[in-house]
This record gives sequence, structure tokens and C-alpha cells, in this order.
Amino acid sequence: MLLAEDLEAGRGDRPVARLSALSVKAGEAALLLGPSGAGKTTLLLALAGLAKSFSGRVRIADTDILALRGAALDRFRGRHIGFVFQDIHLLPGLSALDNLLLSPFAAGVAQDRERARALLASLGLGDKAERAAERLSRGEAQRAAIARAMLLRPQLILADEPTASLDDPAADSVATLLLQAAAETGAALVVATHDARLKARIANQVMVEAAA
Amino acid sequence: MNLFKLVWAFIRRRPLTWAFNVLTLSTGVALVLALVLVSQALDNRFRRDLADIDLVIGAKGSPLQIVLSAVFQMDTPTGNISLAEAERFTRSALVSRAVPVSMGDNVQGARIVGTTLDYPKLYGAELAAGRWWGQPMEAVLGASVAQRLGLHPGQSFVGAHGLVGSADLHRRFPYRVVGVLKPTGAVVDRLVLTDLGSVWQVHEHPDADERATDPNRREVTALLVKYRSAMGALMMPRLVAAVPDLQPAIPAIESARLFSLLGVGAEVLQGVGAAILGLAAIGFFIALFGAVSQRRRDLALLRALGARPSLLLMIVALESALLGLAGGLIGVAAGRALAAYAGHVSMAAASGPTLIPPPAGAIDLAAIGAALALALVASIGPAVIAARTDPARELAGA
Repeated sequence: MLLAEDLEAGRGDRPVARLSALSVKAGEAALLLGPSGAGKTTLLLALAGLAKSFSGRVRIADTDILALRGAALDRFRGRHIGFVFQDIHLLPGLSALDNLLLSPFAAGVAQDRERARALLASLGLGDKAERAAERLSRGEAQRAAIARAMLLRPQLILADEPTASLDDPAADSVATLLLQAAAETGAALVVATHDARLKARIANQVMVEAAA
Repeated sequence: MNLFKLVWAFIRRRPLTWAFNVLTLSTGVALVLALVLVSQALDNRFRRDLADIDLVIGAKGSPLQIVLSAVFQMDTPTGNISLAEAERFTRSALVSRAVPVSMGDNVQGARIVGTTLDYPKLYGAELAAGRWWGQPMEAVLGASVAQRLGLHPGQSFVGAHGLVGSADLHRRFPYRVVGVLKPTGAVVDRLVLTDLGSVWQVHEHPDADERATDPNRREVTALLVKYRSAMGALMMPRLVAAVPDLQPAIPAIESARLFSLLGVGAEVLQGVGAAILGLAAIGFFIALFGAVSQRRRDLALLRALGARPSLLLMIVALESALLGLAGGLIGVAAGRALAAYAGHVSMAAASGPTLIPPPAGAIDLAAIGAALALALVASIGPAVIAARTDPARELAGA
């Protein structure tokens, strides 16, 4: 489902990190490992065309993502890639449900409220769908963000340090939720992390290299 | 989920900043609108009072004072002129109509004007009740006078000497109300009209009976003249000025002078209003700029979710437009209230001209449109900055 080779990504005019080879099947997961500041997030964003890539190839299903530009890239990202960030989960001022619907709204596709509600319920947030985002706990907000990443049945889910600053049980349950999300939607899951606890859960691991 | 919901969520995060900026904008809009409304009301008012009067012939003195006293009924006259001399002009071939007016008394602040039946015709006044006067000491009341004094046809009243309320009553010469006029919006509404002869009768000295019967000694305060042709404008003022005791006054010129005097104050206030609008625009710009920098990561998140840069641009522009619209609506409501209050205050000032602001319409829409345009212009820079949000920098910079 996801295939990346010799990807060099960076910001500005020079590459900062390199990924020699990464392959993830539908419904399965991979870890993007490396110390803090190694460029894991930048590589993760480059997989979605959000960060600048300098060389290499990235295919998501049958699409060459690095060949997409502008509106076509935005459309593809909105429809086929889900994101879970480290600490930017929800937009305050909107309910949990509306935060889920932000994804189809931004992508310009039909908003399936029933599926959004069902996803929230399946993640234990059934009674909090109408609650304002700022009134959810950190964990609840993160779960809502995972639900949002699943909403459009993406081909790829990208998670950036999802377990950083979580205690062991919480980190474990987030890992479980992410793996379930990938399995249920048939997406390839890539988790960028330096959290050693995740290594036990996900065998497909790739180290980020410094750019040449 | 829709654009409005999203923008509203952003607005709600900065309630005080936006409340203040909307307040500033609406204050500017209100001030400018109220000034425009009041000056339009004044303009309409004076234009109506000017009717078709091309020239006023009064006693030697200030032409502005003659126009104010004889046309607008706001100042004291410069004196009286001989009716015999005035009638020479009445009969002139240059004149199509000449209406004499004679002032000197009031009833509870309302001026009693001796004139002919041509005077109410100047303003297209019609009777609401009763009939026109047919002889001296019969009076027809303007609409607001009748309402204020509660007088109806058949009732009587006595005039007081002078043009404002006084205790010096002419008890021996009561007037009888024979008619009441419909409102005209012009100066006649606040006048008591009567026959020219009434004023002579009331003021002639009881001992000097011969004067009452001597038409050569009779006086009026002014003559309101309408020319027959453009030739009148060229000749009449010079002909009148040649007579030693007479002063020609051209209402168009004098009211223009009056407006230029009033205009200075209005211009200053208008400048203040414009300055507040300028401040509001800067306030909007700063608030939007701050909002965009504060929500860089939210905007980056939207980009990650597939939003086009144009959507981020629209979010900021719509946010500004909604608040501009709110400022415009509040400003128009406040401006209308302010203009109505100004009209009310001028009404309360006894015999001052009542001001009726023009009805709601294009000018209010223009004010709202201006507020909206101002908000949109202020949003251009911040909106472009929002659209240029670099998601990689915001999302990886954590």
C-alpha cells in the first residue's frame, strides 16, 4: 500500500533526513525511528507531500505522491491520508463531532455524520460527541483525532509521536487504537516515534538517516 | 460542518478583541452616518422653507438676517419697510408674485405672521380643518402650533408683543382661530397666519386713528418675491438696493453662506468620524494579524486535512466580513438613533426648526457596505499570510 524509496526531505533549500526504504501493506504498520531532531516528522510530512522532498519515490496505492502538485496534491491528501499529531488534535470552539467533520469539510467531500458518531462511540466518546473540544481531556482529544484520521477510510494513516508524554497504560491503549484503526480501514499506518515502548508492538521498523 | 461554523469558532476565541473592534467600527459608522443624516435633514428643511422665493426685500440691514427672519422665521427682522414702497415692486413686470409678511407678535413662542393667502400657497399648505381667514383678527394655525397649543377652529387666543414668549399681551385684540393646516414639513407648520390687517390693527396706537386709515404709512416686515424670468435676477436686486431704506436679500446666496458657516463644524465632526473609521480599519488589521499568528497551527492542521490555501484565505476574509457587517449594522442603528436624537433635541428647542432625517434607504445600505468594504480591505494582508501558511514548518516545528 505504501512504498517509499530513497526519500530525502527537508525544509527550506536543503534535505535534512533520508529514508532508504519503507514498505507497509494495507492494514499493517511500520515505525519510523530516530532520536529527537533527526527529521522524523519532516519525513512523515514528506510522505504526505506536506514537506519538501528532494529525491526518491513515494507511492500510495497506485499514486506517485511526489508527482502531485497544488490542488491535486491537496485533494489526494484530504481523501486518502489521515493524520494524528503529537499535540495538535482538535480545533477549540467546535464540538468533537464537528472536529471529525472538519476532515471531509477540508477535503471537500460529503460529510457522513452517522459514521462520525459511530466512530466516536467505538472509541468510547459516544456521549461526548457534542462536547466542545476544549472541554475534552487530552486523552479524549487524541482519541477523537484518531477517529478523525479513520473517518474517510484512508489508504495511509500517519501518526507523529502519538505516545510521547503518555504513561505506559495510556501509550499502550493508543498503540492498540492506532493498530485497530489501520486494520479496520485497511490503511497502511506509519508512526514516527522515538518511544521504545512501541518497538515491542510494531515489528516493521525503519531508522531515519541523516541526509547526505 | 461548514465555513460559517468554522469562522464562528475562530471569532469566539477572541471575544474581547472583536467586541472592541466592532465597537470602534460601529462608532465611526454611527458618527459619519448621523452627520450625513442630520445635514441632509437640515438641507431638506431649508430647501423646503426656501420654496420658490428668489428675493426678499427687507429693511436696510444684514441680508442674512433678513433671510433668516423672513424666510426661515428664526431671527429678528431688520425692521419694517413701507408697504407703499414695497408695492412698487409688487407691480413690477419683472415679478410674477410678491408675498408680504409682517411679524411682531407671538403666541407662546409661535410667531404670528400677517400676510396674504399667497403665503401658504408657497408651501403648498392645505387646510386640515376650518377655512382660510377672510378678515383681520382671524387666524389659521400651522399644524405643529395647533397641536402644541391645543387650539381648534372657533377658539380664541391673544398675542404677546415680540417674537418670543412675553407677558406683554395684547388683551384688547383677541384672535379667533378659523382654520388649521395640514403638516407640510416646512416653516408654516410652526407659524400662526393671519391677515396683514390684523398686525396693523393690533399695533396701531389707539390715539393715532388717522394712521390706521392712511395706507401710505402702512408697513410690512418684508416682501417675498418670485421673478417672472431670469431677467429679474439681473435687475431686481440693483433696483431694490437703489431705494435708500430697502435691502435686497437673495435666499440662495444667504443660505449658502449659512451652510458654509455650519459646514465648518460638520466638517470637523466628519473628520473625527473618518479618523475613527481609519482606526477601526487598523484595529481590524491588527486583530486579524494577531488571530492568524495565533492560529498558525490550526491553519496548518486544516492544510493537513486537505484544505486548499484558498480556504484559509476565505476563513480570514469571512471572519473580517462578518465582523465588518456586524459593525455596519450596529453603526447604522446607532447612527439612526443619534440622528433621531438630534432631531428631537432641535424640536425641543421651542420654535427651532424640526429635523426629520430622511427615511431609511440607500444611505444606510451604503454605510453598511462601507463598513464591509473597510473590513475586507483590512483583511487582505492577514488573509494572504494565512493562505501562505507552511504546514511543514508549523507541524514539524513543535
